[in-house]
Amino acid sequence: MDAFDTLRIASSSLGMHQTWLDSLANNIANVNTVVPTSETAFQTQLPIVRAVPGGGVEVTGLALGDPEGRLVSDPSNPMADADGYVRAPEDDLGTQMTQLIMAQRGFQASVQVTKDAQENYRSALEIGRR
Amino acid sequence: MSVSGIEAVGFQPYVAPQLSTDAVTGTTGASGASSAFGDLLVDGLDRLEAVQDKSDKLAVQAATGDLNDMHDYTVAATEASVTAQLTVAVRNRALEAFNEIMRMPIG
Repeated sequence: MDAFDTLRIASSSLGMHQTWLDSLANNIANVNTVVPTSETAFQTQLPIVRAVPGGGVEVTGLALGDPEGRLVSDPSNPMADADGYVRAPEDDLGTQMTQLIMAQRGFQASVQVTKDAQENYRSALEIGRR
Repeated sequence: MSVSGIEAVGFQPYVAPQLSTDAVTGTTGASGASSAFGDLLVDGLDRLEAVQDKSDKLAVQAATGDLNDMHDYTVAATEASVTAQLTVAVRNRALEAFNEIMRMPIG
């Protein structure tokens, strides 16, 4: 048990949420990335996380979305196949935005934990002060 | 302290660190006691130096654009600041105790 465990644990959470936010930024950037049906669609990324036994959380890998994606009818697109279809990413913008809010709130909560930890350390230093 | 309700799910209650009794009672005279406290203070200063080094290194990384995660620096800076405050508090308390003893009337 370290004196700065609260900060270490909150820091691991900040790191995890940062990774999540990064992958969401990438997913949202590619939400309109369409490819010809002969290729694989952009695969949305989702971090795989696990709880660290000593306290904290860590990212163990990235889960990738379905390479099949969604077939979208867009005959005017130069990449469209003979039937007028292109391949779009599996996840839509709504899903990504919802996750963005979750990741953002999670990050903000962890920041609040570090603030409270600092407040607690300050209180501890006040003990016995005249 | 035992908290049976949450220990079942693997929670380990916090156990306050105990000074070994040797450090307090096993001292031989004033020199022994002062060296034990001195060691404690030197340990604290070493630790302070280590966290400040880490914070400084991350500050340079932030300036040069090599910092991957912003919170790494802010957390390290917080740790360094709190450790500095703790070290100063310990030093102040020691000085206070010394002055208290010096003010003790003799005879």
